[in-house]
Order: sequence, then C-alpha cells, then structure tokens
Amino acid sequence: MDDPVAFVTGLKVLAAGLAMLGTIGAGLGVGIAAAGGVQAMGRNPDAAPIIQTNMILGMAFAEAVAIYCLAVALIIIFAAG
Amino acid sequence: MNEAQTKKRRPVKRWIVLALVAIGIYAAFMGPSILKPVPPTVVLPAEPIWPGVPITNSMAATLITDVLLILLAIGAYRFSKSGELVPSGFYNAFEAIVEFLWNTVEGSTGKWARRIIPVVGTIFLLIFVANMVKMLPGFESIGYLEAPHKTGEAYSIVKLFQIGSLPVYAIDPAGAERIVVDPTHETTEEEHGLCEHCQVIPFLRGPATDLNFTFALAVIAIVMTQVYGVWALGPRYFEKFIPIRRLVKGGAFGAIDFVVGLLELILEFAKILSFSFRLFGNIFAGVLLLSLVGSLLPVLLPPGLYLFEIFFGIIQAYVFFLLATIFMSTALVSHHGDEHGKEQH
Repeated sequence: MDDPVAFVTGLKVLAAGLAMLGTIGAGLGVGIAAAGGVQAMGRNPDAAPIIQTNMILGMAFAEAVAIYCLAVALIIIFAAG
Repeated sequence: MNEAQTKKRRPVKRWIVLALVAIGIYAAFMGPSILKPVPPTVVLPAEPIWPGVPITNSMAATLITDVLLILLAIGAYRFSKSGELVPSGFYNAFEAIVEFLWNTVEGSTGKWARRIIPVVGTIFLLIFVANMVKMLPGFESIGYLEAPHKTGEAYSIVKLFQIGSLPVYAIDPAGAERIVVDPTHETTEEEHGLCEHCQVIPFLRGPATDLNFTFALAVIAIVMTQVYGVWALGPRYFEKFIPIRRLVKGGAFGAIDFVVGLLELILEFAKILSFSFRLFGNIFAGVLLLSLVGSLLPVLLPPGLYLFEIFFGIIQAYVFFLLATIFMSTALVSHHGDEHGKEQH
C-alpha cells in the first residue's frame, strides 16, 4: 500500500487474470462441439466432411468468447489508464 | 512414399537433431550469458521499422507476404500456360489447396462460387501465407535498439561485429535492469543516439499480430458481403435491415420485424469485431506463448509449440475463410419467404 503505482499495477494484473476466467465457458463449448462432432462422424462416416465443416464453425464461434476475454485482458494490462 | 523409402534409415538427420538439442542446452543453461534466451517484451501496437519512418514492422511483413503470394501466382500462371496437365511437387500442393477452397465455396453458394471465390480465396491465401511467414527466424528478434518508452525490462548491449559503417549489437540478458520511465518525459532527438539500456524494436513482426491487418480484412469481408447481397437481390437486399414494406403491411408483427432488422444492422458491425479479434487474438496469443515458453524452457518444447502454431495458422485462415463464405451465402438469399427455392445446395 506504500507504493500506489505498484498497487495499481498489481490490481491490473489481477483483473487481467480474472478476465481470463471467461475462457472456462469457451473451453467447455469447444469440447462439447468436438465431442458432438466426433460422435456424429462415428455414427455416419459418410457425412464426415459436412460435419467437420460445421464443427469447426461452431468451435470458432465458441472460441471467439475466449478471444474476447484475451482482448479484454490485454486491454486491461496495456491500454487501460 | 513407398515401403523401400520409409525403410531406408537416415542416421545423419538424427545426429543433426541431437547436435541442435545439445547446442540449445549449452546456449540456454551453460554458455555465456549473451546466448541465454531473453524474456519477451509484450508490445501491442506495431512499431515503425526505423525511428521516424511511417511504415510499421507488421506492414513490412505484409509486404513480404504479398511478394510471396505474387511469386506464387506468377508460378502457377506459368505452370498452367506450360500445358502440362499433371502438376508435380509444389504446384500439386497449391492445386490441392485451390481445389479444397473451390469445393467449400461451391458447396455453400452454388452458382455464385465463381464470383465469390476471388474474395474469400484471396483472404485465405493471404492469412495462410502471413501466418506461415511469421514463423521464419528473424521475425521479432532482429531489429534496432531503442531506449524503452514504457516502464519495463531493458538490457545492456554487447557489440558483436561491424558491417561497413553499421555496428551490430546483441542484447545481454545478464545486464537486465528494470527501467522506470516517467510518462510525462518527452523524448528528445539526442536520446535517439545509442542507449545504455535498450529494447529491441523488431524490423519484422507477424502481420496478424497487428489489429490493423485483421480489422482491414474483416471490413473487406463484411463490405463485400453487402455487395454480393445487393448483386443477388437488388435494392430489396436492404429490406433485411429496414423492412419498411412489412412495417406498413404487417401491423404489430411488422413493428417487431423492424426492430429485428435494426438488430441485424448491429450484427453486421459485431461480425467485423468478432472477425478481427478472433484472428488477432489467436495469432497474438500464439506469439506470446512461443516467446514466453521459449524464454522459460528453451529446449525441446518450442519445436512442438511451433508445430501447434503452424496448425493454428492454417485453422485460423480456414475459419476466417469459412465464416466469410457462409455470411456471403446467407446474404445471397432473401430474408423472408418467397425465394427460398432459389438456394443452390
């Protein structure tokens, strides 16, 4: 508490770490998408290309959330006053 | 590759790999401090390639990418003019990529594929080559020295040798010092001379680690989506955003449709943001991971991570391409009713 600058810096790093908590959801989402995709491909191997395309699409959307978290964390560390 | 080739042993390569690992261990743990890995300084915005020059290092890397792509295009053109029907080696791989792109675009947009593939295919090849170029040695490691502008680690320098009138220095991780910079302090011209504690500003940096690059690609993709929408449906395309006809005719549901249309308009801008942040975040996080792990555990682990990076470079290019294709294919068909039969699948 003696050094306000160091205190604020520490809080910033803490906030960035907390912001990355949002990746839990994204990780779950990507995992579920992959599990569903693999199951579907196992049941119907002929449709694998279409399933794969849609699986990657879904994973990209789920992963976008994690990327937003990363962007927020980076902004907290480097850009926020 | 047939049986005979796979059975042939190549002991030379194994010894090369072992020698490289041994050199890595020596440099990281035993050698002089100048060889030790340097923890990365994380810089979000791209920096100029030379003090005062209005070209950033990510732009320079984009130019290299462009040159590679143009050479690739010239090569492919000359190959197609040469009359050989069976491609070999490099052009075989290129043909496989183009065929894969064509099949994906054709599968989701049908007869519009010929008009759409120039845009999305270019985006794919640009991101793909940019992500591969980023992995070359020299990126983010060779640059000019500058006194740090922000609070952070700075290193003392050791002179290596001289090329003509240009002295070449290496930074010494042993001489690291945390420099606290007064943010109100203005840099003057004299301070651009040789610094005592320096940071390296790299000449080259991966294009996709700069938000400007990804944002520009996202804006191009979304604007072209609108262009294709108008091309396919005429002025009626904009009824997706401002459904005036349904507002007049539909009563209460027309009002709801109107609000939904406004949401669609906001969604277009959200698409630009998610496009650009997805690519930027993935590639930037990859670079960060590589340099952090490279400084903490410089032996054996980084090659695996490089493999991972190559995979992610391809996947991100594919995701950008696929999303752009699908947004364009949804823009080609009208939003409500009457024209769903026109859709080609």
